[in-house]
Amino acid sequence: MTTDRNHTLVTIFDPALRLFHWGAAVLIPVLWWTAENGHYDWHRRIGLTMLGLVIFRILWGFIGPATARFGEFVKGPGAILNYVQNLGRPYHPAAGHNPLGALSVIALIAVLAAQTSLGLFAVDVDGIESGPLSHLVSFDTGREAAELHETNFKILTVLIVLHLGAIAFYRFGLGANLIPSMITGKRRAKPEDEIVFPVMRFMVAAAIAVVAVMAIVL
Amino acid sequence: MKLTRTLLIASAAAALLASCGEKNADAGASTAASVSTDVLSNGMTALETYELRHEAMEEIGDAFKSIADATRSSNPDLAVVRAAADTVADKAPQVGEWFPVGSSAASGVDTDALDTIWERPEEFADAVVQFENAAPKLQAAAQSGDMSAVGDAFKEVGASCKNCHETFRADDD
Repeated sequence: MTTDRNHTLVTIFDPALRLFHWGAAVLIPVLWWTAENGHYDWHRRIGLTMLGLVIFRILWGFIGPATARFGEFVKGPGAILNYVQNLGRPYHPAAGHNPLGALSVIALIAVLAAQTSLGLFAVDVDGIESGPLSHLVSFDTGREAAELHETNFKILTVLIVLHLGAIAFYRFGLGANLIPSMITGKRRAKPEDEIVFPVMRFMVAAAIAVVAVMAIVL
Repeated sequence: MKLTRTLLIASAAAALLASCGEKNADAGASTAASVSTDVLSNGMTALETYELRHEAMEEIGDAFKSIADATRSSNPDLAVVRAAADTVADKAPQVGEWFPVGSSAASGVDTDALDTIWERPEEFADAVVQFENAAPKLQAAAQSGDMSAVGDAFKEVGASCKNCHETFRADDD
């Protein structure tokens, strides 16, 4: 076993990835609340912020460090099956997203991307409140976008419940607490798993995300 | 009026007879039949009434969206705003006629109109009047071409929509 080598805390999740994660964790309930209570000015502003975070995360999935990159952590069915078959105690968390969790990450990001995009075009039933790009579509299309926005939110809710359920399962079923590493970025792993934060690439991804959102607003 | 009353009595009698004869029949089927045959006080069936108001409300929503788009645009098309404000002002005085007794969800139509409309008719009438009074202001603002006045009037009309829908329409979102 390699456990003897996994005794040092190394950074496996970079700060930008964690910021995206906790940003979504805070903004999604706030977005739900603002919509439910008719605070659409705030819903639009916060929704655009969420969209910026999603754009950043997708870019980060291509130019970020290894643990953020889709091409690195997304594995084929064989690897997922192998991972599931070997699940058990003692469980040693992977130095990043595991092959099964990768599916959850991809699904959550995809549904969030759809959700924020649909919101741009959504129009409420009275034609009073609408997303920042709704002027590009008809009332009927905007209504359809709003219906899909609502349906997609239900899918998002299911994914979040699954996500939380999985964390609880690892915690209480396998005795592995996955939460601290998403907060501190650190986990017991091999020293070579330590990721380096690519500052320039971060600036590029963040700039593109900000410009994209500004282009929508202006 | 006389014809309407005769029709009403006739349809009520027919409904009574039907309900007697169909005691064991499917209740849903008899509702579906009366919804498109029983004539209400407006001379229309519940289904016709529902379709009329539903389409008219959608027209208002459509018009509202184009005004909302214009208030956010740096280069609003005043002709579009005026046409939309005219639509809203034309429809506003009709709203009170769109909800005759017998056109609630209980009649079998797939409506979001709540029973509170018929349970609290005075409160409903007040809410409708609020819209009727606000709509001409929007039309006048659109005619003036002053977009900030349009924006203010739009908010007032929008508030009247929300005020009524809050109490008298089922939650959509």
